[in-house]
Amino acid sequence: MAVFMDLNITYTTDKKRLRSVIETAAHLGYSTVAINYVVDLQQKKQEIGKPKCVLELFDTFPIVQGKSRPIKVLNRLTVVASDPSHFRPNAEYKAYDLVAVYPTTEKLFHAACMTFDVDIICVAVIEKQPFFFKRSPINGAIERGVFFEISYTPAIRDSTMRRYTIANAISLMETCKGKNVIVTSGAEKPLELRGPYDIANLGLLFGLSEGDGKAAISTNCRAVHLHGETRKTALGIVHSMKSEQPLTERQEKEDVPASKRAKIEMAQ
Amino acid sequence: MRRADIQDEPATYERLVYKNTSVYHYMRISLVLENESTRLSAAQLKQLIVSGLRDLYGEVGGAFPFDLLKFDESTLTGVLRVYNSGLVKLWSALTLLGFYQNELCFFRVTQVSPFLLTLSGNSRELELD
Repeated sequence: MAVFMDLNITYTTDKKRLRSVIETAAHLGYSTVAINYVVDLQQKKQEIGKPKCVLELFDTFPIVQGKSRPIKVLNRLTVVASDPSHFRPNAEYKAYDLVAVYPTTEKLFHAACMTFDVDIICVAVIEKQPFFFKRSPINGAIERGVFFEISYTPAIRDSTMRRYTIANAISLMETCKGKNVIVTSGAEKPLELRGPYDIANLGLLFGLSEGDGKAAISTNCRAVHLHGETRKTALGIVHSMKSEQPLTERQEKEDVPASKRAKIEMAQ
Repeated sequence: MRRADIQDEPATYERLVYKNTSVYHYMRISLVLENESTRLSAAQLKQLIVSGLRDLYGEVGGAFPFDLLKFDESTLTGVLRVYNSGLVKLWSALTLLGFYQNELCFFRVTQVSPFLLTLSGNSRELELD
């Protein structure tokens, strides 16, 4: 079975708090977490900085409860945008393991589902959905291997947000039939995290079936992680690693998401 | 592929009916508070859970019967019992509960099982010599 992952831990400059959140996540059983840097491109002159090196946080990573391996920490970028021209894939995006987009308009949602090179599309949970979900961009996103994310921490903080979260989640499930959905926390404090089986149960509340609910925190998250990794490689086949000596390119066959597989066959 | 010389046997079914399936589900929970010196009585804990159910599911949900079978005040751990139909409601209400008297808190569900016997052992607390 795939391991549990929590792909949304809000970045705070308070190192101690971030460290305690990651320790709680390891204690609850999550094998991988991703620190989320949010960038709002609607404001002028926003720069996308480099993510902080993960090794700065911990000397030794906390061990995941139930396994003997330490927790893995990734970096993720979330871009809040309303115009397709704001989103330009450039070298800064390569420094992050995962890239997500938070569309605020219908046009951007459609563009993000069909063309953008992202791994995750965030569904609004703190406000009423500004646009309706249509089946065609969602099906296009499912075929490309892009996932929709629902965050549950606002539901814990406030009852109005709870209603928005559940309403938006249910309308998403109606259109996507429970496929390609991941559920993540948006935790800023360690007491806002919940255990993986609790979240699988919450998935039932959102309209997912039992199997889909469990997949939303395990297999789908793993697929997102792999999707993000293959973005750094050339179509998922050539895999480069940093090493001490020169001559570092290695040929390695990797698990390729379906959307990229078609391109490889055409190239041959 | 069907072969002409081998006769197909008629398919047989065997139906197993379990008479002893439990009517209840038992959950072992533990309350984690921000301020670690706060203590609750059993009545206060039940009140907290009922208010959480009521916030999420309304009057009907808040009236759903469940029992607090055991409660240890010093460690704030307890065992809840609920009918099978109400398990999802109770569990989701516990998950989304975030505050106790303006203090951050969270319920950690350690074990869930339809049988009380399974709650006695826990591989997380297993000590291997």
